[in-house]
Amino acid sequence: MKIAVVGNPNVGKSSVLNTITGSQLFASNYVGTSLEIEKAQLSLESRSIEFFDSPGIYSLYSDTKESEITRNLLSHRDIDLMIQIVDATNLERNLVLSYELLDLDIPLLLIINQVDRLNEKGIQINAQELSSLLKCYVIPFSAATGEGKETFLSLMKNEAFSSLSKDEGGPKGKQIILEDGWICKGNCKACSLRVEPCLTDADYERAQKAKQTSGRVISIITAEPKPWLNKVEKFVDQPILGTILLLGIAYLGFIILLQFIGLSEGPLNALLEPVSLWIEQTLLAILPSGMIAVVLSKAVPEGLIIPFTIIMPAMIMVSLLMAMVEDTGLLPRYSVALERVGRFFGVSGQAIIPLSLGFGCRTPAVIATRLLPNDSQRFIITTILSIVIPCAATIGIMAMVIAEFHASLLVMVVSMLVVMVVLGLLLSRMMPQEEVFIYELPPLRVPQAKNVWNKVKIRFSGFFSEVLPLLLLMSIVIRALMESGLLEVFASLEHITRLLFGIQAEAFVAVLITIFQRYLAPLVLLNLPLTPREATIAITMIGLSLPCLPVMVMTVRELGMKSLLKILGMGFATSFTVGIILNIILPM
Amino acid sequence: MKLIEMKPGDKAQISSILKGGNFQRKMFEMGIMPGVQIELIARHPFRGPLLIKVGQSQVALGRGVAAALDVEAK
Repeated sequence: MKIAVVGNPNVGKSSVLNTITGSQLFASNYVGTSLEIEKAQLSLESRSIEFFDSPGIYSLYSDTKESEITRNLLSHRDIDLMIQIVDATNLERNLVLSYELLDLDIPLLLIINQVDRLNEKGIQINAQELSSLLKCYVIPFSAATGEGKETFLSLMKNEAFSSLSKDEGGPKGKQIILEDGWICKGNCKACSLRVEPCLTDADYERAQKAKQTSGRVISIITAEPKPWLNKVEKFVDQPILGTILLLGIAYLGFIILLQFIGLSEGPLNALLEPVSLWIEQTLLAILPSGMIAVVLSKAVPEGLIIPFTIIMPAMIMVSLLMAMVEDTGLLPRYSVALERVGRFFGVSGQAIIPLSLGFGCRTPAVIATRLLPNDSQRFIITTILSIVIPCAATIGIMAMVIAEFHASLLVMVVSMLVVMVVLGLLLSRMMPQEEVFIYELPPLRVPQAKNVWNKVKIRFSGFFSEVLPLLLLMSIVIRALMESGLLEVFASLEHITRLLFGIQAEAFVAVLITIFQRYLAPLVLLNLPLTPREATIAITMIGLSLPCLPVMVMTVRELGMKSLLKILGMGFATSFTVGIILNIILPM
Repeated sequence: MKLIEMKPGDKAQISSILKGGNFQRKMFEMGIMPGVQIELIARHPFRGPLLIKVGQSQVALGRGVAAALDVEAK
């Protein structure tokens, strides 16, 4: 049986699904978290139920990627049942989508989520009345308390629902044709060209019905307010004090991150030192002596210790901080507070979401650029992400190079900021556009340990599946290149790299290695004798260069090959320009 | 009167939306359509966004967006 889960943005679709199936979908307290269809499985009395979690939409007929994905899901996947997750505290607007769904020939089940929050809002919803008005099943639910889960499971076991399967009965659902929603009479003054999704009489009718229905099922009771959280929200949403508070929280986050990396390095090193020594000796003992033994005995411990001492703490802390900021609902408030700053760069305030995600890992951040209103903004932000923003793994390893060679953190940070401003300004002047900033702010809430834990786990899982194996492999390759003397071929370039960037040829090779994975490049640097000046130039050039392979793949998927080629060109140009400028201005 | 002229705490009713097509659709999806009650919660300085309450949700509108909304004071 195939079930499509649909709903408005930020109604808790993923949380409901996680409660029901025990799966770990990514639930966040901001609009537009799931940008793809996520699958979850549930086995119920030997029957297998497949859930397809769709991205949040306000309407099936919107001109957005999310709506397109949902339309395709509903019309092409033989869906047996639609479950709409409805936000109990915002019933009227959610019902507009319900009425759109009811027009499709697929059975609908309404799950009213967050009923635990109704008391503080001072309202009650008559689920039975709603069920009879809409002529579909309605289940009051709370992902926070688990209320409604049993009702849902027993309903799924029930005859009527268990016979819903694509093997029985004819084809279900109908093609959702956009024009169904945009019947343009061509006589309104709103638009003269039939190119945009217009509002139709059907839309207004559904809005009207939603208003009447919610009016009939909602009754007012005495509110049981949660005064302190409301007070906090009021404070945070103040224009000036709120912005100062938000910036203060961000600053605190960076301090915590740096402290954590600094404090954890010592104990982790002490713990891993004997392990690394043991690996080195064991490899030397079991391998026949020769180049392979030399390479592996040096590369394997190095490739294991660096990720654990440097990258792991950074990834854990960044994931944790990001999860907290997301789950509280603070992240979207940054987009509002920083809207003016974004405007300066020609992007909306929402851009802060992909940009800050980028400090964790830039691959999901590229997907998150879908939050932006148009393709040119997406291109600007993807470019800044690719060239400027360091991911958690990069931050860790850059910190290590800086500490090792006493390179200048200030020079690096200032260079990054300058590049960001210059790139942003250049790109936004090249693609001027109209401002359309509309953004829904979710209510603030106390972060839930379960959500935060899930998110940290999902974000961190890349450490073992991607970071660790890649670093190990590249560490072996780089060590082999150095031991074999192949890198000396580049020595002939020495006078050119010295002249242009003030660094030796090998350090320049490290810059070129960023093509594979930015955070691998410093591995080469760590094996070179560098002065602080050389290290500063090399690490800044590495910090401002190319996106890593996963980000490149994602960029091609999201924005096309042409965009990636442009970004790569700009990456090389930026890195070389910064190197030349630093070589000129930094004192010898 | 324009929405952009409202002060924090003011309540009003949307009277018309001065842009067409996709813009109206986007507004509609946020619950902003003629006849709907709104309340201005905050105005961010330096021509920053306006925060309004529509139904049960809080929506932030850029100045360009807010300038296209006419309201009737209540």
